[in-house]
Formats: sequence, C-alpha cells, structure tokens
Amino acid sequence: MACAGGGGRMKLNTNMQVNRITDEVWEIPVSEKSGMLVPARIYATPTILQSMDAGVFEQVTNVACLPGIRRYALCMPDGHWGYGFPIGGVAAFDVQSGIISPGGVGYDVNCGMRLIRTDLSLDEVQPQLERLMTELFRRVPAGVGASGFMRLDRASFKDVMTNGARWCIDRGLGWHRDLDAIEERGCIAKADPSKVSDQAISRGINQLGTLGSGNHYLEVQVVSSERVFDEETAAAWGITGHDQIVVMVHCGSRGFGHQVASDYLKVFEKAMRRYGISVKDQQLACAPFASVEGQDYFAAMNCAANTAFANRQVITHQIREAFSTVFDRSAEDMGMELVYDVAHNIAKVERYPEGELVVHRKGSTRALGPGSPDLSQQYRATGQPVICGGSMETGSYLLAGTAGAVRDTFASTMHGSGRTMSRAQAKKAIRGEQVQKQMKQRGILVKAVSMSGLAEEAGFAYKDISEVVESVDRAGITKTVAELRPIGNIKG
Amino acid sequence: MSHSFHFLDDIATADLAFDAFGDSLQELFHGATCAVIEAMADPSTVGSTWHKPVERTEEDPAELLFDWLSDLVYWKDADGVVFSTFELTVTRGDDGSWHLKGELCGESVNGSVQVLRNDVKGITKHMYHVSQEGRRWHARVVVDV
Repeated sequence: MACAGGGGRMKLNTNMQVNRITDEVWEIPVSEKSGMLVPARIYATPTILQSMDAGVFEQVTNVACLPGIRRYALCMPDGHWGYGFPIGGVAAFDVQSGIISPGGVGYDVNCGMRLIRTDLSLDEVQPQLERLMTELFRRVPAGVGASGFMRLDRASFKDVMTNGARWCIDRGLGWHRDLDAIEERGCIAKADPSKVSDQAISRGINQLGTLGSGNHYLEVQVVSSERVFDEETAAAWGITGHDQIVVMVHCGSRGFGHQVASDYLKVFEKAMRRYGISVKDQQLACAPFASVEGQDYFAAMNCAANTAFANRQVITHQIREAFSTVFDRSAEDMGMELVYDVAHNIAKVERYPEGELVVHRKGSTRALGPGSPDLSQQYRATGQPVICGGSMETGSYLLAGTAGAVRDTFASTMHGSGRTMSRAQAKKAIRGEQVQKQMKQRGILVKAVSMSGLAEEAGFAYKDISEVVESVDRAGITKTVAELRPIGNIKG
Repeated sequence: MSHSFHFLDDIATADLAFDAFGDSLQELFHGATCAVIEAMADPSTVGSTWHKPVERTEEDPAELLFDWLSDLVYWKDADGVVFSTFELTVTRGDDGSWHLKGELCGESVNGSVQVLRNDVKGITKHMYHVSQEGRRWHARVVVDV
C-alpha cells in the first residue's frame, strides 16, 4: 500500500511513489520503475485514485517504458486493468522513433459511442416503451454469434473497410449530414484491406449491424432540464432537456477488430526480436510505427475502425426504422439527428507541439476543444461532444472537449465509468433475473440475450460515473454538458 | 485420467479468466476447451448438427492450446455457432512437435432454445501460461469478452 507525496497520505493499491500535481492530477516519476522514459500521470480525484486497482499503476508505468513515448503515459479516471495498456490509457509516440501497439488500441478496434437525439419527450415514449424496446431488440441483433440483416460478399466488405460510414450512407442507411457528426466523418484514410487476414474477414462479414455482448448496449435515455449543466452547448447539439428522449449506442468492430489485433500481436511478437524491442508485458507487443509491420497493422486497424463506424451507422438506421414503426412518423419528423459518434479504442496520427505523434487511446475519448480545425463546422464553437457511458443502472454523460485537453492530455479524456468488480464476482453477487426485476422497479426496461451477461453488468460492478466525470471536469480536460438517465436498455 | 477447470473471481476485471488442469496434456486441453465452451453457452442446451474437424501442429504445447482455443472463437463467429461437445487427441511427433486432431460439434446460435452466455471475442496472452508439475498440467487463460 502506498503513499502519495504532497497530498497527504492515502491508501493506494501500489507501493510506488505517487506525487500530487493537483487534486485531480497525480504523477509517478521515472525513478519508480527501471526503463521508464517519461513520467506516468493519472487523472483522478483522491477518491477515484484510491479505488484504482493495482494493475493501473503497474500498466501505466509499463507504457512509460515504450520506445518513442512523448511527455507522459496517461491514465484517465475510469482507468482499470487491461491487456498491456490499462483501460483509460493514453500514450503518444513519435512517428519516426516511436512504436504502435495493438495493446494500446484494444482488441475491439474503434469500440465507441454514438448518441442520437429526438424531439420526443418521455410522456410520448413511456406508453410505447415496451413496444419500442421489443422492436429495437428485434432490429438490432445482440449477443453470442449474432449476425446482422445485411449479407455482404467479400468485395463489398472490403469496400466497408475503406469507406466506413460513407458506405452505409451511399446505400441509404443514413443521412449525408450524419457524416458531419462522426469522428473523421466516419472514414479514416490509409485503410488497406490487403493487410487484413481472411480469418478476420470471415469473422466480421456477417456482423455488420450487431451489438455484441459484454458491456455493449443500446440504451433509450431521457434528458431532464435540471440535469443539463451547460444549456448553451447542449442547445447547440440539439439537447434541449424537458425530458427529451435520446438513444445511445456502445459497440465496436466486433470479432473482425479482435482478429486484426490478434493477428498482429503474433506478427509483432516476432518483429520485436528483429527490432531489438523488449517490453514489460507480452500484451504490449509492438513494432516501430515506421516499420513495414507497424504500417501494415496501422492499415489493417484503420479497416477495423472504419468497419466499426459502419456498424454503428447500420445500427442507427435500424434505430430510426424502429422508432418510425412504433410512433408512425418518419425519423426526420422526429428529429433523430446524430449528436456525435466518437471512438474510444484507436490509434491516430495527430499533430502536437512535439510534431506528428501516434496517439493511442484505449478506453479513452478524443476531446478536441473549441476552434479545432479537425471538427466539423457545427462543433467549432462548442468543442467536440464526448459521450461517456455509465453502467446501465446509473446513467451516462455528455461532455465537451476543451483547450485544456489539447494542451495536457493529447486531446483525450475519459470514456465511461470503469469496472470495480470482476464479471465472476458480479455473477456470484446477483442473478440476471434479479437485475432485470430491480431495474424495472426503477423504471428501466431491460431486454437481454443472456441473463448471466446481465448480472455481470449490474450497476454495483462499476465506479460511480459522477465522480469520474467530476475528475475530468475539475481537471479542465472536458466540461460537463448533460446527464442522460436510462429508461430502456438492450444487452447482448 | 481427469481434467477440471474453474473460473477465477479476482483476475481480469472486465473479462473472464479460468484455470484448467489435466493429468496429461490431452486432459488439460479437454479442461480448457470445456471452460471456453461453457463461457459461450450452456452446452447441455446446444445440439450437434454442426461438425468441424480441426488439426494443428506446434512445437510449443502452450501455443498449440492457444491456437486451438482461438479456433473455437473463430468458428463461433465465422459459422455463427455455439458448441455442445468435442473430441480431441494430442500426440507428440518424432520431431518433438505436438499435434492436435479434433472435432468440434455444435449448432447455429438460437437464443430461443440455447442458454447463451458471453460473446467471447478472443483468447489473450495476458497471464497466459501452461505448466507441468509432476504429471499434473495447468493452464491459466484470460478470455476477452
């Protein structure tokens, strides 16, 4: 157990020296582990810091040892143990001397969040909620082995890899203006399907438009006026309060992205020997970004990222169709515009004062501030929307990116609430049927493919998202715009 | 000859971890395979209309187990199935390499009759190891869900 210099003594799950920079920023100096090239910084309130598992401290300092890392290895307040990098991890590497690592992206490439607004109110939706959730559950397949309604041949799937959400829009699965509300307009350049294995294609070809399982979900939420904290920004994004209904989607590239990551972990294990790179954890396998192997992974990862954008776009189409069926109105008439779509598992080349860097965000969200040229015109005044999913029982948040994030954290912030309890422990503590019943009593209707999966996602298995949001707000790397309360949830 | 497995409470906060044991390498493979199959669905609720023969050879038994378990994840997604039973033999060749010959049985995913659990996305190398103490083999596996 441990100490925190400068901030009084706290019980932390590490023996490393953790120095207080501010009440929301904590630093582990390079002297704490052999091989650290930069300090590690953790963004958290004292309460959150004390709840962080030992893996966070160990893993963020392992990341600080990777070649070409710049400034700091970072971890956000929703951080917890992950594969190689902690979840909530952010690290930026020089494009010439640095590395790229699947462990810093996450297996579910471009796992991300999408928020859709409506003009509907709770009073209008509540009487139809059961029918709406049934229709959504029917139209958006979830859970083990689920396949989507689209049947693609391999050539078409390769088009998805290179064109992302635009592929969907061109086929009527969305509106052209949707693209303005997606990170990178839903299509990342330098995606090369020739760098993707046949196995990855076989795993992903039937999964377009599916949610998956684990912590992935589709949620119908309500925004009450008293939970809108920044009315001007919220209004600019179409969030008006007054018990407004919105829909949140959390999912990624499914088995396809995972296979891409697994394929290149094997490639990198061999490449590291050739390039003389040693890492503290096998799951940190990496290759120089400028190497053939590094560029091949980057091209394949971008294919998975674009497929994830397309996946969420197809799901959005299905959501609009479901609402149209239930309320007998067109999606446009109900104002079902995208608020935003943003990745939280990705590596991207971005420019900072140090030059071009490969920024890895794993369980961390890009948070560009006002005026960023990388944002569509509609977000230039407000900064980028940041969508943070909480547990299915507690609610979620809409935040805005800031200049502080661009300055301090490579334009990165939190992505969710973060687990505090393992899936096995949660399942021992409660049954899925109990979770479903308790949530219904609290006005949240849940449709789940797997009852054991539902138990694993019980609210008590997660950190208090309000405390996590407070950490990043007080640290100045995002500002809080609105809280979103669940009334209906679909889980795999 | 016997095998066993149990899921671990305190490892892999966001995912699933298990220990598998066997009185031989082949029995260890049986235990670990049962764990992955159970993680996906209750095999007693899954039929056996789908069959897939699998053969693999590796120099390292740990890599052989990793690849075999990854095969289960692959076929789950590629053919949209969950598994009921399996057969496998693990033998050592004259060149010292390990050879697995097996068959997976299952059926297409159907949530109306099968008790589905986790959509396993992959087998990971985190904390992954295969070891032998005396005649007893042990594997620790973390599964990404």
